[in-house]
Amino acid sequence: MLHFFRDGFYRDFTVLMLVTIAIGAVFSSGLAWAVDSHFGDSINQMIGDNGEYDVILHVREEAKEAALRELQRLTEHQFPKASMNETLTIAGQSNLFFGFPDEYKTQEVLGGLTGIFNGIPGLNGYTVILEPSILIRGVHPSVRSELQDRFQAISGVKFAFMDGLNMLVLLDSMEVSRTVSDQVKQILAEYQILELRFPMGFEVDTQQISDHVLDLVSVEVNAQHISNVSSAEYGEDLDAFLKTLVEMRNFLLSYASKVRIQADPGVHLVVGEQIVVQGMGDVLPVVGDEFATGQVVVEVLSVQGDQAEGMIIKGSIVDATSVLEQAGFRMRSSGDVSDLVGTVELENEQYRLAYTINESLRLLHELDELAMEATLAVDNADAILDTFQEALMQLEVLQVQIRQLNEGIAQGGGQSASEQLLLTLLLNGLMKNLAQGALPGQGEGSIDSLENLDVESMRLSLTNMAEQIGNVQEIDIRGIIDQIKHVRDSLPRLDDEEIGRSIRLINTYLGGQVIPGERVQLLVHQGTIDDKVLEPKIRDALDNPYVNIYETSVGMVNPDARSELFRVLKEIRATIAGMLAIGFVMGTLILDYATVFSTLKWVRTNKKVPRNKLVKLLNPVIVFGGVVGMISLALVYVFSGAEIPFVNLGVISGLGFIMGALIVIFAEKFSPIHTNEIMAGQSLGLSDVQIMREIVIPVSRPGLLNLLNRWKQRF
Amino acid sequence: MLEIRGLHKQYGKQIALNGLDLVVSRGETLVIMGPSGCGKSTTIRCINRLSEPDSGEILVDGQSILGFTGRDLREFRRSVGFVFQQFNLISRLSVIDNVMFHLVLAGLPKDEANHRAKMALDKVGLLHHGHKQPANLSGGEQQRVGIARALASSPSLMLWDEPTASLDPILVGEVLEVMEELVRTTQTTMVIVTHEASFAQKVAHKIALMDKGVVVEEGPPRLIFENPQSDIGRKYQRLIAS
Ligand SMILES: Nc1ncnc2c1ncn2[C@@H]1O[C@H](COP(=O)(O)OP(=O)(O)OP(=O)(O)O)[C@@H](O)[C@H]1O
Ligand SMILES: [Mg+2]
Repeated sequence: MLHFFRDGFYRDFTVLMLVTIAIGAVFSSGLAWAVDSHFGDSINQMIGDNGEYDVILHVREEAKEAALRELQRLTEHQFPKASMNETLTIAGQSNLFFGFPDEYKTQEVLGGLTGIFNGIPGLNGYTVILEPSILIRGVHPSVRSELQDRFQAISGVKFAFMDGLNMLVLLDSMEVSRTVSDQVKQILAEYQILELRFPMGFEVDTQQISDHVLDLVSVEVNAQHISNVSSAEYGEDLDAFLKTLVEMRNFLLSYASKVRIQADPGVHLVVGEQIVVQGMGDVLPVVGDEFATGQVVVEVLSVQGDQAEGMIIKGSIVDATSVLEQAGFRMRSSGDVSDLVGTVELENEQYRLAYTINESLRLLHELDELAMEATLAVDNADAILDTFQEALMQLEVLQVQIRQLNEGIAQGGGQSASEQLLLTLLLNGLMKNLAQGALPGQGEGSIDSLENLDVESMRLSLTNMAEQIGNVQEIDIRGIIDQIKHVRDSLPRLDDEEIGRSIRLINTYLGGQVIPGERVQLLVHQGTIDDKVLEPKIRDALDNPYVNIYETSVGMVNPDARSELFRVLKEIRATIAGMLAIGFVMGTLILDYATVFSTLKWVRTNKKVPRNKLVKLLNPVIVFGGVVGMISLALVYVFSGAEIPFVNLGVISGLGFIMGALIVIFAEKFSPIHTNEIMAGQSLGLSDVQIMREIVIPVSRPGLLNLLNRWKQRF
Repeated sequence: MLEIRGLHKQYGKQIALNGLDLVVSRGETLVIMGPSGCGKSTTIRCINRLSEPDSGEILVDGQSILGFTGRDLREFRRSVGFVFQQFNLISRLSVIDNVMFHLVLAGLPKDEANHRAKMALDKVGLLHHGHKQPANLSGGEQQRVGIARALASSPSLMLWDEPTASLDPILVGEVLEVMEELVRTTQTTMVIVTHEASFAQKVAHKIALMDKGVVVEEGPPRLIFENPQSDIGRKYQRLIAS
């Protein structure tokens, strides 16, 4: 095949490759650059030139107008001459740009951004884009003021301030950014947080632990200074989540059916063991059989002597209305029923809860009716009291009249002594009877005691009672009933198996996590932490093989928003350049090289069959095409500054090879050649390069090859 | 002048030539005839190395031409004219350019090449068609351009591969006429593959009948057509008689 190039075509071909690669590189990088600068301009337009705006406020779209008004007000009252701009609204969130006038860019103002902006309606947070500045993320509370002082001592730094968990170091100019950033990183590198984490279930006294290990660690890491800085200020969200999970697990545990196991004498139960019982089904577990539907599998959670508690992990007893007491059998890991272990008591907590709720509902109904009846009763009592009081008054009148009559008789008035005596006796008897009739069995002085009866206070207590009953009636018992019904209806409808699975899942998750308070943080200044060495020593010292140690930094220097955007943009540019390089090389392979490949393939078919098996197998034209594709793509890719993420030059070269080889295989489809004319050229004694220049290329597809050939072509 | 010995050629499993022997003297006109697929084209292409034989020997003026490469091969090819069944003109070039371009590319000055091309076109009766594009010519005229192109480099050997086979019957005559004229007026050695039996009878000094990649019978036309020894020969005899 190579002889084809020998009489001069190699020169044309080399020129073609060089020109292709050069143009490809310029084209790819140029177009990518154009895209880049277009976006760069847009970014500048969007976020203003350096220093124009300081804060992007992210506001809910619907609150945008209100937010703008509030910002306007803020500008007028607090920060005259502040600048403001509204840009893109993305996914329901509007971005408002706010720039402080220079005289307000002080430590006091900037350190209190949250306070300044928290009155903005619909605010979802803000991003500080103050420039030139260096942003340090997640600064540990224990070193904030120390770091602030140290950063402010760096030359070129105006001042530093905290914004939430982040610290911003404001610079005099963009030029010092690099050097200051390096120094900031150096300072940050001096500090480390050494964290001791204890797994779930360990109650840890952070103070005690830190006292315990402080000296040890201090020697081990050779630190200049070390102190206990344990705080809960970190990862609050996660802490809250874990707490919720623990609560959730506890709730589920109390909601799950209660399982108590009474082991038979001689049977020893262990935690984690699985036991089969009949459950709500009809099939009794039989030794040797497999688990049947309806049956229930219980996992042992804790054992105390011959008593154990457990949890249902398979099957369910949610339909049970009473406590079940059933024989329990061991379950082998293979899933079949083994020996009898004892009696298992299953109590459906869900049913009990539902039962209680239903009972309360009944009680409430009763209460409602009771209150109504009580009102009636009070009313009746009131009426009776009225009647009684009236009767009492009349009785008094009668008593007075009798007394007067009695006295009249005693003074005489023409009656005989015996008459008088009789009358007196009669009257006294009457009086006595009268009193007895009113309050039988009370004897002498009954009327007096009747008089002593405090009707008014009785009336008062009756009124109080009526009031209380009224209060009861005023209570919205209907509402309460509805609410309780609602609670009843919204109780999780989980069966025991689902609850069991959820509890296991939560346990698994919690097992790998640490909950609040179960970690100790030590601030290490200028030490070297080797956790491989330190961890075993700390475990030893605390006599706790579960403690893990982690090393974290006290803050991370972040590129500022603009450089971040431009970095991303640069990445995009390199990616675009890479895509363009691939496209361009594919294009030239189709438009230019395919013609050469077709010719080479045709020339080869007229040759003697090669004796070399390898050459026979590995079509040299395909290899040649592959190499051409590989070289072209790799060089265009490199020279255009392309960089597709996760794709290295090896992959690109391979891709180039495959592309070249494929184009060779389908060369005639892309670039058909007139073999008759080539044959004529050969018969007329033309050299291969002449055949290419005069016969093949002039009628090939328009492209670089065609273009370059114009200079060489004679006819 | 031309001597072929034991020529073998195989396309994959397909045997095209199976030990072919052939001798042509200087100035002689040899006509090769034979059924389709018997290897005529392959033979004639091997002579100017458009096809490479697998084995055998081809001597031209006593010199083995199978070893030629590069410059030698091109030099040799220029001394051999080849007329194709499909004419094989360069479609993007005008008639005159088709006839002269290879002369220029071989190093001849342009006017010299142009002069020779015109002479060649004159010989085939197309002197005034030089400016035309091949596509605007009839098939017969196109083949005559093909002949002129072969003639332009004054070859000492001319190879014809069924020059009239793809022509309309009414156009065949004009081409055969030109060929006959050439055989009569020049001393050029000719190897002509054709199915035109009467033409062969008229112009051939010698006829070779081929079958299955070998020459089965050869001799002067009279001998071949009047007293054929092979089956192929007898078929041609019947053809001529009818
Ligand atoms: N390029 C090729 N590839 C594969 N087989 C070929 C090729 N050229 C010719 N052959 C085969 O070789 C044999 C001889 O072909 P060749 O063209 O020499 O026959 P021919 O006598 O010229 O026939 P025709 O009268 O049809 O032109 C045929 O069987 C043909 O199919
Ligand atoms: Mg043929």
